[in-house]
Amino acid sequence: MAIVYTKNKAVFSDAAGAEEAETLLEWLGKHPKGKIDLGACVHLHPANLQVMMAAGCLVTVRSSDQDLAAWIDSALKTI
Amino acid sequence: MNPLLEQFLSETRESLQGIGEKLMQLENEPESAELMTELFRFVHTLKGNSGLFDFPELTRVLHAGEDLMDAVRDGKAAYCLPMADLLLDAMDYVGMLCDEIENDGVYAAAHAGDSVRLAETLRRMIGAPADAPGAAGAVSPSAADPGPSAEVRSLLSGIPERIRMDAYRAQTSGGLHCLVYSPVQDCFFQGDDPFFQARRTPGIVWGGIAAREAWPELAEMDAYNCVLDFHVLSEAPAEELKEYYRYVFEQLQMTTISPRCLILPQGDPNGGPVYEDFVGDALGLLRGGDIDALRRAARSMLELSSRELWFSSALRWLLLATEVEPENGVVLEAIITSLRTLAAPEWHVLAAAAGPQSPAATGVCAAKECAVQEGAVQESAAKESAAKESAVGEAGLLREETGAAIRAIVDVQREILSLPDEVAWIAGRVKAAAASLEGCLRSSGSLDALPGLRLAAESSVALLSAAPLLAWVEEYAEEMAAAPPSSPNAAPNAASNAAPNAASEAAPNATPATCQAEAPAAREPSAEAKPSPAAAAAPQPESEVKFGRRVEDVYAAAKSIKVDQVKIDRLMNLIGEMVVAKNALPYLAGRAESVFGVPEFSREIKAQYAVINRIAEEMQDSIMQVRMMPVSFVFQRFPRLVRDTSNKLGKEVNLVLEGEETEADKNIIESLGDPLVHIVRNSLDHGIESPEARIAAGKPAAGTLVIRASQEAGRVVIEIRDDGKGIDPAVIKRKAYEKGLIDEDRLERITDPEAVNLVFASGFSTAEAVSDLSGRGVGMDVVKTAIEKVNGTVHLESEKGKGTRIRISLPLSMAVTNVMIVESNRQIFGVPMDAVVETVRVPRAAIKTIKKSMATVLRGRIVPLKALNTLLGLAAQQRANEEDELAVLVVNVGDQQLGILVDDFHETVDIILKPMTGVLAGLAAYAGSALLGDGSVLMVLNVKEVL
Amino acid sequence: MAKTIMVVDDSATMRLSLKSALELSGFKVECAGDGVLALNQLKFGVKPDLIITDINMPNMGGLEFIKTLRTLPGFRFTPVLALTTESHQEKRDEAKKHGATGWLVKPVTGPDLVKIIKQVLPGA
Repeated sequence: MAIVYTKNKAVFSDAAGAEEAETLLEWLGKHPKGKIDLGACVHLHPANLQVMMAAGCLVTVRSSDQDLAAWIDSALKTI
Repeated sequence: MNPLLEQFLSETRESLQGIGEKLMQLENEPESAELMTELFRFVHTLKGNSGLFDFPELTRVLHAGEDLMDAVRDGKAAYCLPMADLLLDAMDYVGMLCDEIENDGVYAAAHAGDSVRLAETLRRMIGAPADAPGAAGAVSPSAADPGPSAEVRSLLSGIPERIRMDAYRAQTSGGLHCLVYSPVQDCFFQGDDPFFQARRTPGIVWGGIAAREAWPELAEMDAYNCVLDFHVLSEAPAEELKEYYRYVFEQLQMTTISPRCLILPQGDPNGGPVYEDFVGDALGLLRGGDIDALRRAARSMLELSSRELWFSSALRWLLLATEVEPENGVVLEAIITSLRTLAAPEWHVLAAAAGPQSPAATGVCAAKECAVQEGAVQESAAKESAAKESAVGEAGLLREETGAAIRAIVDVQREILSLPDEVAWIAGRVKAAAASLEGCLRSSGSLDALPGLRLAAESSVALLSAAPLLAWVEEYAEEMAAAPPSSPNAAPNAASNAAPNAASEAAPNATPATCQAEAPAAREPSAEAKPSPAAAAAPQPESEVKFGRRVEDVYAAAKSIKVDQVKIDRLMNLIGEMVVAKNALPYLAGRAESVFGVPEFSREIKAQYAVINRIAEEMQDSIMQVRMMPVSFVFQRFPRLVRDTSNKLGKEVNLVLEGEETEADKNIIESLGDPLVHIVRNSLDHGIESPEARIAAGKPAAGTLVIRASQEAGRVVIEIRDDGKGIDPAVIKRKAYEKGLIDEDRLERITDPEAVNLVFASGFSTAEAVSDLSGRGVGMDVVKTAIEKVNGTVHLESEKGKGTRIRISLPLSMAVTNVMIVESNRQIFGVPMDAVVETVRVPRAAIKTIKKSMATVLRGRIVPLKALNTLLGLAAQQRANEEDELAVLVVNVGDQQLGILVDDFHETVDIILKPMTGVLAGLAAYAGSALLGDGSVLMVLNVKEVL
Repeated sequence: MAKTIMVVDDSATMRLSLKSALELSGFKVECAGDGVLALNQLKFGVKPDLIITDINMPNMGGLEFIKTLRTLPGFRFTPVLALTTESHQEKRDEAKKHGATGWLVKPVTGPDLVKIIKQVLPGA
């Protein structure tokens, strides 16, 4: 699994596929203040991204992949 | 031969067979869309596969065939008989090339002409001009330039100033491209990952994501309804972007912008009157041509202003512009005057006035290009580079650009050549690269280097390694790019022409070299299959293009079982050994009881034996099944054979095939092929009459030929029946007598049914004149011999004037033979059960000696007797039992029954019969040998030969 | 981890050619001879990251295969490339309509193939 959920945080690693978006959406429904950790994420399917955008998620850790981080900056706020 | 080519040839054979079949079927139901679809699929697949190899002749013909089928399928051309003939010819041609490829690794270069003629003829059938070239590039810069759309402008303003400045500073010659990629809502369900796609955009300078609509409540959100837009700024050429986004091109809005469009000052618009002064001063300096002073003024102004101001941003752009294009007064002036209005300059309005400072920025500032250019996207590397060159040429670029383009092409080729060599298509790759490089040489005018390039390419092909060509590239790359183009207009033509020419030139010349070593060994002396070079090269009228080959001449054996036969044979041998090993268990059980006296243990062994026995039997059965194949394998050639033959003879024949699914062992099926062809030819040639003769005889004009297969009592029965003129027994008798096949005595006694079977006697042929078709100097005796070789029988029935029926009966499998074990002179021998009629014990007194030969009377019939010992040259007398009875094994030999005297009968066993090998193979008295369970060897008699 | 690619084509030659090219580039390859056979494999646990399928096949053609594939759990978003020939533009649109991600034009050579796969398959 490319997304691991902790108490109040969704931690991404590697590439998150489209299938994971459903779970993410569900989780965000239950944790409206949920934070996002993209540190180890190299790519995420846009289904995940738009779910996070809709939820107005805050990114706590930017991706260490500079390219991805720059893209995400245009879509999500980072603390 | 490499495995891919091997696979291709084998599949091609199957497809050709399928195509032939479908064409035959189509003659009966020309309206069948289903048949047409299947036919199309065969041709389509073949053509697709042929593209994997460098066989341009093959691909050309198949391509034309595919187009024709496609036209028929779409109703653009009507299916007709001449079309079928032509397609069959085309497929024969393909088959012939495949044969040559299989035998020699390559086909004769002389075939190229035929392929062109065939393809042309095929295309003429479509009634459309051959090869309409695709509409050339639909690049159409819009005449009235509306400037970047509001969307693009907002996109640009979303890009951080730093990134825009970098991109502007780079002054990419092809302009920059603004992409707005709006994936369709259900794109995820097409497997798209638009984000990934956008991230990988070639030449990406910047990218951003935006939502198309306001976000719904999370609870109502559909995660898989894509509402994201992706914005990309790229400095890659439009062509490359188009290719990259070709799957989603309609979802993409691409705008070409001049780097100047990036000059969009941003920030807090608050300002003061001091700016007005600055604008005045700056304009003065600019008009005075003092750029340095302008720069100094701007810099000090910038130091005084807050970074966040719109004004500061504009100043930064002004400074950058003085640095990047200091001569362009229009641009500088526009930036300066914008400080007054605090609105970004309208670059598209200024574009025309700004004049061309760099060739690429000319004219087009915001030409929207919406048409997809398919051509450029799909070509192979060679064509792609050629296309690139044409594009370059059309744009009328100057020499430096051509040099750059050549350098780019050469780099691509170098990259291609540096890829690993160990692929099947390395030869094709080398040739494609060589063709592209040749194009570069031509357009740069360095024709002197051509021979060197060709030499390098040839040695690359010969070695199947890209290294020699790569070495050449490393040496000449710089030289090529530096050389001035011969003339800008000639360049694209030379390049695009050179590529295909070079590839086809290289093919026939280069390939033989690679194959020479193995060619002589592989070549088969099949002169008939190949037209003589002279005949092939001689100009022939198109309609007469024939390929010197008849369908029935080539018998593609072993193509229908996909497993290597050696492997199955090995399985067969192993199971044979297993059966033998298994049969040792009962002996062991016997010993356990008789020698060691443990009957319980003996019983256990027997129980275990029963289990192993069952498994072994099932296993044997399964292996047999693997070897089974349907008779359709043999039958499938007949529609074509009958069609061609009857056309040639001017006869009308309906062929009916029945029971094609009947299965038998592969060896049996294969042995059936030649005899059947012979019988069918005979039937067409001598059996079925001409339409006129038939009508005169009160029969329908069209004759009927039925070939029927069925399974009867563990044997395959093939029946070939025609309603032709039949065989006149009187004629046969007379001929047989004339040829000395029967004596006067026999001539009188022989019945009509017996007489007609004399056609199978060796040396018998009824044909008055040797016809072109079946007269090959062999008669029906060959048929009989071939069938008997696999333990089959053949029987003929005929009624004069009504027709002929030939019945062939074959065993289902040759692998397991059921034999009876008999004993004679304390040795055991096997006798195949096929031959055994019965076993009887005859009192010595009942055996009479008539003229030195023994005989007895069984159920009122006289049965001649022979002693096995005598037959085998053993001195011993046959032994009788206690009641003084002799064991007689009654066997069938031909139509006669005969008794063989033996000492005793034993059980019957299934054995795996191994033919005699080496010096023993000359012993005709034995059919072969087999191992028995106790390890002893059983010699199996060939009853017919022994007697 | 090596990505798995499934090749669905009724032509053994095409399968062999794609398989060897893909394996050379480090992919794991599963092959099937038509749509039905491919679906069977998928139902029995083969989980390709990308599928390359011919369009014109007996039993079940590529279009129907892709359509059915999209209804299977786990394959809704799998990238699918349809094998087409240069002469059949309408087939590509049709394939996309049925859920294909893109298309490959036969004959496909190794470098092209890998380039395209890298474009549609994240992490390849």
